[in-house]
Amino acid sequence: MPHAPGRRLLAGAAALSLGLLTAACGGDASSSSGDGSGAGPTLDVWIMEGTNPDAGPYFEELAAVFEEKTGALLNVQFIQWADAHDRITTAMAGRELPDVAEIGTTWALEFGAVGALRDLSGDIEAAGLAGDLVPALHEAGTVDGATYGMPWHAGTRSLMYRADLFAEHGLQPPTSWDELLDVALQLKELEPDMIPFPVIGGTEYAVDAFIWGGGGQIAQADDSGRWTSTINAPEAVAGIEFLTSLATEHGLSVAAAETWTEADQLQSFQNGEAAMVINGNWTVNTLLADDPSWADRLGVVPVPGPQPGTYSPSFVGGSLLGDFTSDHPELAWELIQLMSTGEYGAKWADESGFFPGQQSLLEDVAAEAGPLVAPFATQMMEAGHSVPVTELYGRVQGAQIIPRMLQSILAGSASVQEAADTAAAAMDETFGH
Amino acid sequence: MATDRATGPTRPRPGREAGPDRPAPDPARRARRARRARALRPWLLLAPALTVLAVLLLWPLLRVVLLSFQDYGLRQIYTGETHWTGLDNYTTLLTDSALWTTVLPNTVVFAAVCVALTVITGTLVALLLQRLGRTWRIICSTVVMTAWAMPAVTGTYVWIWIFDPLGGIVSGGLDALGLIEPRETNWFTDRWSFYAIATLNVVHHGFPFVAITVFAGLLTIPRELPEAALMDGANAWQRFWKITVPTIRPVFTVVTILSTIWDFKVFAQIYLMPGGSGSNPDIFNLGVWSYHQSFVKNEYGMGSAIAVLLTVLLLAITVVYLRALFKERDDL
Repeated sequence: MPHAPGRRLLAGAAALSLGLLTAACGGDASSSSGDGSGAGPTLDVWIMEGTNPDAGPYFEELAAVFEEKTGALLNVQFIQWADAHDRITTAMAGRELPDVAEIGTTWALEFGAVGALRDLSGDIEAAGLAGDLVPALHEAGTVDGATYGMPWHAGTRSLMYRADLFAEHGLQPPTSWDELLDVALQLKELEPDMIPFPVIGGTEYAVDAFIWGGGGQIAQADDSGRWTSTINAPEAVAGIEFLTSLATEHGLSVAAAETWTEADQLQSFQNGEAAMVINGNWTVNTLLADDPSWADRLGVVPVPGPQPGTYSPSFVGGSLLGDFTSDHPELAWELIQLMSTGEYGAKWADESGFFPGQQSLLEDVAAEAGPLVAPFATQMMEAGHSVPVTELYGRVQGAQIIPRMLQSILAGSASVQEAADTAAAAMDETFGH
Repeated sequence: MATDRATGPTRPRPGREAGPDRPAPDPARRARRARRARALRPWLLLAPALTVLAVLLLWPLLRVVLLSFQDYGLRQIYTGETHWTGLDNYTTLLTDSALWTTVLPNTVVFAAVCVALTVITGTLVALLLQRLGRTWRIICSTVVMTAWAMPAVTGTYVWIWIFDPLGGIVSGGLDALGLIEPRETNWFTDRWSFYAIATLNVVHHGFPFVAITVFAGLLTIPRELPEAALMDGANAWQRFWKITVPTIRPVFTVVTILSTIWDFKVFAQIYLMPGGSGSNPDIFNLGVWSYHQSFVKNEYGMGSAIAVLLTVLLLAITVVYLRALFKERDDL
């Protein structure tokens, strides 16, 4: 074996260089989350793309202010709503989570429950903000006293109608369930080619409003924090019954709407087919951007309640800012506070067409809002609601239990009570009964 | 590389000990070493490809199998802890009545129908191509290729538009004939009509591959065979079944196996249709169900178990096919 010593040397050198390489990688990885430019730490921030059509300038300004204030830099990445949940999950597995991220309201509890989000309630309390957050949004991120997401911007759904048609036929926008039925029946006669009020089966938020309007609840927790579905209780069933009867008994919808999502429904409204729809405040901007003449054709009122003068509470959605257990919790909170309150909170809401998540800012907006914004603000402040505040409700939504219920009623394969019983059983199974 | 260097130039031929004309100190040992080197060499050459395959295919496959024996959710992803539950996922899965009444029938019947229709349509188109002149053959095969080249997602949306209850061309046509009332029609809510549309979509997307492959097979049949049969008075039907099919049977076997595999694991074509993403549990197939359990309900263990079941089912079908194929060879 004449070559043996040489080979051993070679192998040794290879092992050594491999070791150096891994050491170098390790060193690199550990320093990257530390200081980027030598000035201060860099915070990774994930923001959903599209909420604000032109978010670049906002974040440039924010980064400059933040650096001046704290010396820290921001690394903002825009991600898509559609794959954001998967992306955060993947980042959790790969330990590549951002410091601060925008999250959907139902995700806060889900990610909070596994320990991926830091409880912000202490910081919110210390900053004196606890009483100044939009209640439904604050509640949505809070469980057992821990708040996993800071309200950033909010939105809600109300009844949007064709003001031009209503004026032409001398109709008044409905203020109660009876009036809603009545005006829809009149529209059916007056505009036979239109869809008076599409009852859609692809999303739960419209029927949620009628469930709450009828005095029902989707689910309720007992003292021990155990959730039970009450969607098959008489009050909830009354709401479901009223909404679905518009389609099944009165023929005010079309069969195609059984599988429509809110986007399909908006499309139908935009095309001049639907006369009344329940949709979100952010869609007003979509309509106006498409055709400015919508300003004269669109009317908005809060979702009517069962009696005249009452409202059916509507789901307050939007997004929260969460701290994914950043290495720099003080900086993360500093940033969250900067983005969600005061000047930059108001600016973001204004640019994105949503409402601010800070109650005092919301009141300012509501006070000077135009006719296409004010009804949504009223809805949010006087008749806003959150879905059951448990991480398990995210799974109920994922499994599309309520759309399933709606579709079976609308397609005629189950009665309202049967479908509600099935939905309640499916929810209870998810709640761990 | 010491072994190579030592044995390289004087490598003995396979099955032979070192020759008597070359005196070696220990011929048996040298031969053993040579054999080992020869056995090792192909693996050495295959190593790069195998490493890539192992990293990209085998490891994920193994992970899915391992996950299927665990309770794996968001908590496990975040903390990295492992919670083995043995066969629990499989017991839950196999005792779930939805599997037997909805998911499995949807998967198996849909795949069987699609494979049959795909192979029949593809063969008919291949026979047509064979009879056409040069110009029409080019035109037809180009048109056929277009259907094949369309991505599944795009194709699915086109079929959704075609069958859109309010503005689609089909409901428009049937409405003009007075057969349906578009405002009261929704084909996407009913299990049968939903799958009928999905079948059209999958067959339309799948038949060009069969057509082109079978057409290539047809070109290999010696011209004398059908001519002789024609002389013997065989009609077209007899010539197809007695000459064409037996001659290119392996081609049919291959396209059937491949179509079966593709049609069993159809996902996008179902998931993207209205009601296909979970709001209508009647239309779940194994692929959509697995996705739903994993990524919607965050029960990755259960989702993996469904994926393993789908894989096992596919393997079983493929083995049966391959055995049939080899048995035929032996019989010939």
